[in-house]
Amino acid sequence: MFIFIFVPILAGILLALNVFLAPHKPDEAKVSAYECGFLALPGQTRNTFQIHFMIVALLFLIFDLEILLLFPLAVSLYQVSIFGFTIGIIFFIVLTIGFVLEIGSGAIALTNFNTEKQSNINLLPVDPYKNNGYS
Amino acid sequence: MNISNLLTNLNSLLFNILDVLSILLPVLLSVAFMTIIERKQLAAHQRRIGPNTVGYYGVLQPFADALKLILKETIIPSQSNKIIFYLAPVSTLVFSLLGWAVIPFGQGIVISDLTLGVLYTLALSSLGVYGILLAGWSANSKYAFLGSLRSTAAMISYELILSSAILIIILLTGSLNYITIIEIQQAIWFIVPLLPVFIFYFIAVLAETSRTPFDLQEAESELVAGFFTEHSSVPFVFFFLGEYSSIVLFSCITAIFFLGGYNIPEIFINETIINVQAIVLGFKTCIFTFFFVWFRATLPRLRYDQLIELCWLNLLPVAVAFIILIPSILITFEISPY
Repeated sequence: MFIFIFVPILAGILLALNVFLAPHKPDEAKVSAYECGFLALPGQTRNTFQIHFMIVALLFLIFDLEILLLFPLAVSLYQVSIFGFTIGIIFFIVLTIGFVLEIGSGAIALTNFNTEKQSNINLLPVDPYKNNGYS
Repeated sequence: MNISNLLTNLNSLLFNILDVLSILLPVLLSVAFMTIIERKQLAAHQRRIGPNTVGYYGVLQPFADALKLILKETIIPSQSNKIIFYLAPVSTLVFSLLGWAVIPFGQGIVISDLTLGVLYTLALSSLGVYGILLAGWSANSKYAFLGSLRSTAAMISYELILSSAILIIILLTGSLNYITIIEIQQAIWFIVPLLPVFIFYFIAVLAETSRTPFDLQEAESELVAGFFTEHSSVPFVFFFLGEYSSIVLFSCITAIFFLGGYNIPEIFINETIINVQAIVLGFKTCIFTFFFVWFRATLPRLRYDQLIELCWLNLLPVAVAFIILIPSILITFEISPY
């Protein structure tokens, strides 16, 4: 597989061309972080971000694994026939229950995220702050 | 080591280099022309002329652009992680170009005829996320960071739809090899029995290459330029090339999966030196690249929460339903396509 060596070399050649041919005169304004119209404030980068992105990544892990686990079944469906397919269906039922729970808990609902006081992202299917007898 | 052994080694090395070059040079040229095709076609959709100064009808415009960008100054922000800042665009370009290693351009015309070719493609398209993530992290700018988060979440969500659509094709072919998939389609192109699957497959491809209506990384009013806000000159070229290379690559893969790749109905028998099969594949690829630009000219951009909900609440249940439905049909009627 010569292409695995060749393609990075190609990228390296292009970078080297740029280093040799282009001017290089950095100054303070150029190398500062991009900001729209005023000076960049320190400490605003790499901030905390919404948990929503993390949840999407976690769900992706589970579901991608699920689909990749089905690839061997897809390749050998005519050898394993109806028995293998039944096992696959059982596997899917379990995952579908999890998926329904996840939709019901609002893990991927982003609508009205800022207008509601309570966050929509709530991993519990029952809202613990609502009608629990303490208020 | 004697002389003849050395010569044989040298010969095979030269052959390897020519092999790779004969695929990669046309690919890079087609990626360059894809940019001018996009601008020309967008112009045609809006009744403009488009670029028409450089070369005949503006044909040489991409080369002028590339030359200009190579001669521009590379600005590295002082607060960035320098190594990752360079590594991210390089990895984007490399991963999208490496995908061409398993594409068959004709009977046996392929760099590497992998048995697990489809899995290789899926793995490379997953690795493409790392370029975005690293670029957003290393630039250490809040716009790049937010842009990379949004792009990453969108790309990994739609990858599910993409791989489940591919899974359905694998169910029909029973093989992960591209040439087998093409040869099975001599009976019928998969777009005929699998039209609904094709529709959600193409939606996933649009999101995977982050094109309109899913190009949230380029939502100019919200996030300046998404994850490559801080990248300029050649690192920017790498992102640009990587994006367009993956557009052409995915058009080609779509042509292989759904339009039968290099198959043609046997109107005439090809005994000349011209490789008609490669031309047929190129023509089918052009149809899908036309679709890409057509959608860009037609559709408005989705809001971010709509994007995520479309994937998880609408497309994924449909995809799962098709994964259940199609093998059920195959088993019930005992249809064995292979």
